[in-house]
Amino acid sequence: MSGLNGSLSIALSALSVSQQALATTSNNVANANTPGFSRQRPVLAAGDPVVVGELTFGTGVMLQKIESLRDPILEIQLNQETQQQSKLDTSLGQLRQIQTQFGSASSGIGADISNFFNSLQQLAPDPSNLALRQSVLTAAGNLATDLNNTAHSLQTQRSNLDLNVVQSVSQVNTLTAQIASVDRQISSLQNAHQDASSLVDTQTNLIRQLSGLVDVSVIPTDQGISLALSNGTTLVSGSQSFALSSQLGSDGVQHILAGGQDITGSLKGGSLAGLIQIRDQEIPGLGSSLDQLAAGLANALNTANKTGFDLNGNAGGNLFVPPPVGGVGAAATLSVSITDPALIAASSDRTIGSNGNLAVLSAVHDQAVANGQTPLDFYSNIVFQVGIATSNTSADVDSSNLILRQLQDQRGSVSGVSLDEEAANLIKYQTAYQAAARVVSTVNTLLDVAVNLGK
Amino acid sequence: MRVNPNPMPDLLAALNQTQLEAQQALREISSGRSVNEPSDNPTAAALLVENNDQATFNNGYLQSLNSVQGQFSTADSTLSSVVTALQRAISLGVEGANGTLSDSDRAAVATELQGIQSQLVSLANTSYQGRYVFAGTNTNTPPFVVDNTVASGVRYAGNNGVNQVSIGSGYKLAVNLPGSQLFSAAGNDVFLAINILIQALQTNTSIDTAVSGVGAAYSYLSAQRVFYGNALNQTQSQTTYLNTAKLQISQQENTLGGVDLAAAATNLAKSQTDTQATLAAISKFSQNNLFDYLK
Repeated sequence: MSGLNGSLSIALSALSVSQQALATTSNNVANANTPGFSRQRPVLAAGDPVVVGELTFGTGVMLQKIESLRDPILEIQLNQETQQQSKLDTSLGQLRQIQTQFGSASSGIGADISNFFNSLQQLAPDPSNLALRQSVLTAAGNLATDLNNTAHSLQTQRSNLDLNVVQSVSQVNTLTAQIASVDRQISSLQNAHQDASSLVDTQTNLIRQLSGLVDVSVIPTDQGISLALSNGTTLVSGSQSFALSSQLGSDGVQHILAGGQDITGSLKGGSLAGLIQIRDQEIPGLGSSLDQLAAGLANALNTANKTGFDLNGNAGGNLFVPPPVGGVGAAATLSVSITDPALIAASSDRTIGSNGNLAVLSAVHDQAVANGQTPLDFYSNIVFQVGIATSNTSADVDSSNLILRQLQDQRGSVSGVSLDEEAANLIKYQTAYQAAARVVSTVNTLLDVAVNLGK
Repeated sequence: MRVNPNPMPDLLAALNQTQLEAQQALREISSGRSVNEPSDNPTAAALLVENNDQATFNNGYLQSLNSVQGQFSTADSTLSSVVTALQRAISLGVEGANGTLSDSDRAAVATELQGIQSQLVSLANTSYQGRYVFAGTNTNTPPFVVDNTVASGVRYAGNNGVNQVSIGSGYKLAVNLPGSQLFSAAGNDVFLAINILIQALQTNTSIDTAVSGVGAAYSYLSAQRVFYGNALNQTQSQTTYLNTAKLQISQQENTLGGVDLAAAATNLAKSQTDTQATLAAISKFSQNNLFDYLK
């Protein structure tokens, strides 16, 4: 296979391979900004040599394959960190929303409690004064209204979270279906021994998006990839996807089901886990603290009011409508039970001038009404808990972002398209093409010489 | 090692970070507060709730003091008039004890004493803002009623109740003395003493004893009056204390949640410089690559 024809064929292989290499470079440049794209490079190999007598001749160059540069371990780490970061980021957004309810020391529930007890003190020097009595009722009303509003806001936020959960489940299902369908295409290409790099990029990108929602891990198998949640639930197996569903539970919120099994509590990462954590832990915990406070305060003040006598000389009744037994829903429903300021039981001896029972009412300020704490200590502890949860999550988000960026840097260093590098490759393949073309023209001249030899 | 050819996400994250810092500094400067939400400083946010409670109560105590001071002044000046009237009664009694006086002269003195008795009843029924000051806690009815069926001629219709008002954390002040303790205490009943003196003058018997009876009631009442003088002193010194405490509470509030303006302004300037540097880096990044040199 030596000779001029052999040389021509070698030069042709070089021309063809250079063109393909140029096409690869061009594709890299075109996809320099495509999210999830992994740079590709042509893998060249020398053609199988031929042996003529004692001599071995090369047969040119061939393009073995076009490979994508991708680090599978890095992709797994990126998925995991994305899951962590999404969960934290979602939690942080919700916590920030929660803490606006507890933002100011000079207004809101804490200030309402202080103002209420102060209004009782103001009544002490002149206990029969109706205007001062009215301010006690107004202060009690403000406290009740602020507790109602805070409880309702938390409830509204919880309902919105519930809606988000349902939407996220449907996003998960869309993504798993897409991943399975891409997996089918990848398999059929690979079965036909064709390059599926760009589809693998698409799939990797979809899995990254899925990682933003749930704690999914990737298990490569012979039949394509398999995706499972950390609790073992399979979402994708090769070309088949398994949809999650959501269903209203007896506790009034949507539960996530996988094949009939409730997996709501076992999600560990992704924004869905963040949504569920806030919906099922933070908000109910906070709500029950507020209930405890409202019920404790109302019961203690009712008891105190009953030990005294009102302006008409009658024994005092309830100041607040008695909260539900057990306290559930107390904050949302707290209301002042009297509208007549004369019914505040300030007197301890039935006369209108006595303020003896105001001391009993005022003493509730320093009484253990909730969890062994005074109303204000209990409330300021709520403020602290909300604040520390938010600031801790915020710090966690910062460090998770940092890790994620480092991983993305690493991924970029492996898979990112460098225009300098592509320009250099362009020159390289251009030169190779020109050289091969020169070989063709030289061989052509020589063939001319051979053809015209007999003339 | 190959470097990441696209540092743009890092640069944008850095830009975001410096802008967040600038925002935080601006928020502190514009609100004048370093704790704008609980997460800014959870411990301080919780302490600020307690601090606000202290401030509210401190102001409340000051208002209460203002209100009881009026009552104390009224009671004290009333008792001052009572003391003057009793002094007059004593000098009238001494005058009536003079053996040279005729029956009609003594009758005239007795009549004047009856006038003093009425004046004392009226003083003992003094009210402040519609409340009878010496009625115990039965403040809505006149505590002393003229009643000739009793020996003193005056019946006490009030009670023995004493009100207390908080004028500081754990500091309670009794704000009234019941009339029964001031005017009609057993053994020192002012009205009875005057009534005995009137009868003594009318019958010209035991006038000296009756005068010393009024004298004893006078001494007793003067001693009781000290209560209001003391109470006024206490309210004054407590007012001074609470005004000092008010300053301390507001200083503490500032320490917990106030902004360090110098630090915030420095942070703002620093983050602005950082932002500009990052922006410059972004604009310079990859202005050139190898393609620019291919001709």
